[in-house]
Amino acid sequence: MIYLKDIQKSFNQQPVLKGINLKIGKGEVVTILGPSGSGKTTLLRCLNFLEKPDEGIVQVGDIQVKSKKATKREILSLRRQSAMVFQHYNLFAHKTVLENVMEGLIVTKKYKKAEAKRESELLLEKVGLGDKHNYFPSQLSGGQQQRVGIARALALNPEVILFDEPTSALDPELVGEVLSVIKAIAQEGITMVIVTHEMSFAKEVSDRVLFMDGGVIVEEGSPLEIFNAPKEERTRQFLNRISRDFSVSFLEERAN
Amino acid sequence: MGKAFDPSLIVDFIPTLIYYLGVTLQILAASVLLGMVIGIAAAILRLFRIPVLNQLVILYISFIRGTPILIQLFLVFYGLPAILLFINIDISRMDALYFVIITYALSNGAHFAEIFRGAIKAVDYGQTEAAYSVGMNNSQSFFRIVLPQAIRIAFPNIANSIIGSLKDTSLAFTIGVMDMMGRGETLIAATAHALEVYLSLAVIYYAVVLVFEKIFRLYENRINRHQTVDVSVTG
Repeated sequence: MIYLKDIQKSFNQQPVLKGINLKIGKGEVVTILGPSGSGKTTLLRCLNFLEKPDEGIVQVGDIQVKSKKATKREILSLRRQSAMVFQHYNLFAHKTVLENVMEGLIVTKKYKKAEAKRESELLLEKVGLGDKHNYFPSQLSGGQQQRVGIARALALNPEVILFDEPTSALDPELVGEVLSVIKAIAQEGITMVIVTHEMSFAKEVSDRVLFMDGGVIVEEGSPLEIFNAPKEERTRQFLNRISRDFSVSFLEERAN
Repeated sequence: MGKAFDPSLIVDFIPTLIYYLGVTLQILAASVLLGMVIGIAAAILRLFRIPVLNQLVILYISFIRGTPILIQLFLVFYGLPAILLFINIDISRMDALYFVIITYALSNGAHFAEIFRGAIKAVDYGQTEAAYSVGMNNSQSFFRIVLPQAIRIAFPNIANSIIGSLKDTSLAFTIGVMDMMGRGETLIAATAHALEVYLSLAVIYYAVVLVFEKIFRLYENRINRHQTVDVSVTG
């Protein structure tokens, strides 16, 4: 369960989030769409305090933190409720694939090494990298690195996994392999918040779509509502610009 | 000038001098290890801008960089006993070797601090964010994720610094330490064959530096094995 109340954030007096209120239920898959500069990544990063909101309340799982009075201890326990998959993967460069996945288990979950190893091997198998245990991140393709990033997040068994444009840095031909892994875990009932530009993926995977612009949530609804019958002019403009022919192909797909 | 140049003496001198290589390496090892501890601590104080200590570290580093090591050696040799005498500790009879180690540790510490500070800042901040995202606290993220990568970045400079430090130990004889150089000075006094002694010393120091460079290069390749692009700097 995620609960955000009146989240505000400015960078150099420039407001980026202007009071976001949001509730996300357990097992829900929510994607955030919006033009660049709309505050969607900042919102995601406020969920684990990689950005500290200026104002408002963040709750993930049982941990509630008031931004203004957040202590180090509170921030740490809030972070331990979530895991993040980064746009640029951010795998630990000096650790092997297996060690990357094990790291969180050993350090924050206090697993024994053998246990962490067994668990991590299973997860790597799941993201299709069972044969890459001893590779270093720099020896992998972007798509493979991102799948390690997903396994690292899954290992923590968090309340929610946050995806920050997980395919934006990938070569087009590698996007598919990452999206299919994310789809597979979405079906397992893990709560996910995804910032993405992949419209057809968002349509397919989400329970709910948020459209953000200018630091506010302009519109939200089911993928069908947002993509087929957006109520707000700004949403319509954005969708038109991003995927002029998307709704057509969506309708065609449904017709077939 | 001493006696006529006799190259065959070099063959005799080298074994005599090399016997004292142990002392040189002892000074080097102790001062590098202590220097690492000082360097990492000083770098942390600077990076986290700990009030007062940060300014003291800046002063310390600037002083070490701005003064010749020979003068630092004399300042420690004469100054440290004088200061400690104020609190009734008499170290005037302490082995000169320890003064050398203290001086070189302080000198290495200042150089290492700047190298580490640069290296730590060079580690991508995304690594820290990833560490936070898996639930690490500040010190876990620093010691498990950032520092190991910083050491890899710092290593070529540290290696150069250690080699410089090895050569600097040749000044230890000035306060009476019997290392290779010190033994060389006594050989000159006894034989008056200065050139042969210095040539012998040059051969030994050069050989040791070559061995060090080889070891450093091997180690560097090892710690860089996760890098696709091989960065190789030493010597």
